[in-house]
Amino acid sequence: MQKESVRKFYGWFTALGLLVGLLVGLGYYRDEYRPWKDYQHRFIKEEIRRATTPEQRMLAQSTPVQVRQILLPELNRVDRCTTCHLAVEDPTYGGYPQPLAYHPLHDEHPFDKFGCTICHRGQGRATTVEDAHGNVPHWDAPMLPLKYIQASCGQCHESSDNPAAPELARGEQLFETVGCRGCHKLGGVGGIVGPELDKVGARRSPDWLKQHFVEPSAVTPGSGMPPQKFSEPDVEAIVLFMLSQTGADLPGFYASMKVIPSAAQGQRLFQQKGCIGCHSLGGQGGKVGPPLDDVGLRRKPEWIVQHFRDPQAVSPGSVMPRFGFTDSEARALTDFLLHQREQKAVLSIPALMGPVDRGREVFRKYGCAGCHGPAGKGGVPNPNAKTAQLVPALTYVADGYTNAELKKLIVNGQREIVALDPHRPPPPLYMPAWGSTIKEAEVDDLIAYLFSLKPKNEDAGF
Amino acid sequence: MKTPSPLGAWAWFAKTRVGRSIFRVGPPQSNLERSQVMVSSFLLHVQPAKVNRHSLRASYSFGLGLISLYLFFILTVTGVLLMFYYVPSTTQAYDRMKDLQFVVTAGLVVRNMHRWAAHLMVAFVMLHLCRVFYTGAYKQPREFNWVLGVGLFLITLGLSFTGYLLPWDQLAFWAITVGTNIAGYAPVVGPELKYLLLGGNTVGQEALTRFYALHVIVLPAIGGLMVAVHVWRVRKDGGLSRPDEPVENIQSIPLGQLPTNKSYGLMELARGTTPQVGRDPDDEVFSWPHLIFRELLLFLIVTAVVVFLAVFWNAPLEELANPIHPPNPAKAPWYFLGLQELVSYSAFWGGVVVPALLVTALALLPYLDRRREGVGRWFARERTVANTIFSICLATAVALTIVGTLFRGPNWSWVVPWRTPPAITEDH
Repeated sequence: MQKESVRKFYGWFTALGLLVGLLVGLGYYRDEYRPWKDYQHRFIKEEIRRATTPEQRMLAQSTPVQVRQILLPELNRVDRCTTCHLAVEDPTYGGYPQPLAYHPLHDEHPFDKFGCTICHRGQGRATTVEDAHGNVPHWDAPMLPLKYIQASCGQCHESSDNPAAPELARGEQLFETVGCRGCHKLGGVGGIVGPELDKVGARRSPDWLKQHFVEPSAVTPGSGMPPQKFSEPDVEAIVLFMLSQTGADLPGFYASMKVIPSAAQGQRLFQQKGCIGCHSLGGQGGKVGPPLDDVGLRRKPEWIVQHFRDPQAVSPGSVMPRFGFTDSEARALTDFLLHQREQKAVLSIPALMGPVDRGREVFRKYGCAGCHGPAGKGGVPNPNAKTAQLVPALTYVADGYTNAELKKLIVNGQREIVALDPHRPPPPLYMPAWGSTIKEAEVDDLIAYLFSLKPKNEDAGF
Repeated sequence: MKTPSPLGAWAWFAKTRVGRSIFRVGPPQSNLERSQVMVSSFLLHVQPAKVNRHSLRASYSFGLGLISLYLFFILTVTGVLLMFYYVPSTTQAYDRMKDLQFVVTAGLVVRNMHRWAAHLMVAFVMLHLCRVFYTGAYKQPREFNWVLGVGLFLITLGLSFTGYLLPWDQLAFWAITVGTNIAGYAPVVGPELKYLLLGGNTVGQEALTRFYALHVIVLPAIGGLMVAVHVWRVRKDGGLSRPDEPVENIQSIPLGQLPTNKSYGLMELARGTTPQVGRDPDDEVFSWPHLIFRELLLFLIVTAVVVFLAVFWNAPLEELANPIHPPNPAKAPWYFLGLQELVSYSAFWGGVVVPALLVTALALLPYLDRRREGVGRWFARERTVANTIFSICLATAVALTIVGTLFRGPNWSWVVPWRTPPAITEDH
């Protein structure tokens, strides 16, 4: 009796032991079989096929099949992309299908210093296709579509001084001209009606951003942002610029790209040091020294650099003082001047403009056009606002306000906008208080500009 | 030994000089050896040489306590393996999770096993508690073992909760934020307790360090010791509870009145309800093989289930923890969701008073309910009142947990899980 009852256990032990063994085996097999091993075998096979000497063949055959990775401690990244993309550094693999393709034009960004994901995004630590390319739940940074790749340049480079990223520069220019800053802060400057954009590129997908420009309320229910009437290439450019705003806090080596000599830095120096006091650009400025519009045509770059260091050394009898520019500053200024022959740089030169012109700059700088329309012509919808459901135009502001009233309105803003229908949600757009952002002198200029908007040939009387 | 089998191999090995020195007894052939094999083995001697038939009935205990113990064992083994790779640092922990998944051989499977075994252990400890209640097994002489069990229940929750933070993803970060906030609602000591747990006011590196130390050293050490005492007390309190405790039949001489002019064996000093002095010997069978084989079988089943879950379902890992982007809703681990649901009505009553009362009532239960009827049977008629009260509490807890888990959406609003919520629209 007892023997019987014990014997039945043996069958169960065997069955369950086999089941556990099978499951462990299955787990191990799934862990052991990884697609990247196929890719490496394919690469090794190709290397063997290409080998011309026995030594090369030996070398190819002894290539280990293993996870390969680029360690980037400064960026806090580990990129294992080269586990599958084995030939990114080998030009002879140019034109091969993925994953064995060669990555062209990579000399200035060596792999061992940059890896892959800092530009392409995706999940560097992953070793399976879906996970690595980042199109999986709970991974915030899927691979950036190639058409937006210039956005990544903006993490290290100033948008405006990277000739290799024209779309990025165009996106930034659009951002500054259409008036986004009227509502949104970027880099600490801008309005408070909409959210800050400093990290928007890391938070939002390209599709989301695009949709958001075309029809904001479709992706953000209740958004008060007016739909933007961009052409298709313009939308792509401004989406690209938004994508570049990742807010990534990159370490010194990478961030230094923004401070090494560049035309943009030169332009800032040119304005700060008051060069315009003696020289002119685009017809504006002093007449003590020669105009600098075409200096890049007349002089070699080395000459200009030397001239910044010691004017009298290359130009005997010059009255230009020695400013004590550092080497990098002299190069930046030179870069800026050399750019003048290619494009007529629009310089803001506040000291020499009239108040109306300065006011126009203020209007542009703080993005007033975002709500009040280009040149204050209005037309931006503000649902349920009593003013015809539009943000009011500023064209006739001179008739309705005194200087002091207008100043008060700009400084203090107007949080409550009178609603057309009090039962519906209040109008989303309102006038922020600009007092803490726009300087007092700028407000005066802005008012001068706004008063100038009134068409000249119309009579003030009714 | 006609056919080769593990037992046959053991029999052969136990006969050799070395084998005898290790095992002392080979596979038992006689009843004497069946007793010896239990008594002479360290691993087996915590169990009696003979065991009551009633204790072997699966439909009585369902092996729930043993399953919990096996899960604890699996958790220890997989936990040590995970410790080889884990770094309790806010900058590295999440990356280590990714490395486990992508470059460590079987790393993901081990992590999955640890995760699922942890959830199962919480569930089975709760079920074990329910079994002991419904069979009245907490009554004399097992009152203190029930108290130990309540302590182990809390330790289990603590182990699971501290482990929850370690992956340092959004799920971990916000579940712990919510969980420790609940602790902070307690009057007077609440904020201090929360500060002590987190090493600060928010979840950060200090909290991770503390949770790690609690998870891998403090709680397992205390829990392991308590498990040892718990199991030992099962033996000392007379094995598993069964009907008609024979205590009243036993006559023992008070220790102080024992004659002092002779020495005593343990058997003579043992009192109360140990199996030897229990019922008719016919009710008992030898632990080897009847108990031991069943235990081994159960271990294989538990292992198979955990490995099965681990191979086919991955443990969750969300985005890297981000203190400025809370998910909506942020939810505590599932076993605290009933509590979170209560907290949504009243932080003080739901988060402090009710759970404190429940734990106190559980711990004091055997001292409050001292009637001896209905022990050793499921849903005994004599215990209708106690069972009803317990069932109402249990049903409420389960209902609250289900509501908190499935029916709560953004801002803890009511959602119906099988219907996608209507898109928020606003007319312009």
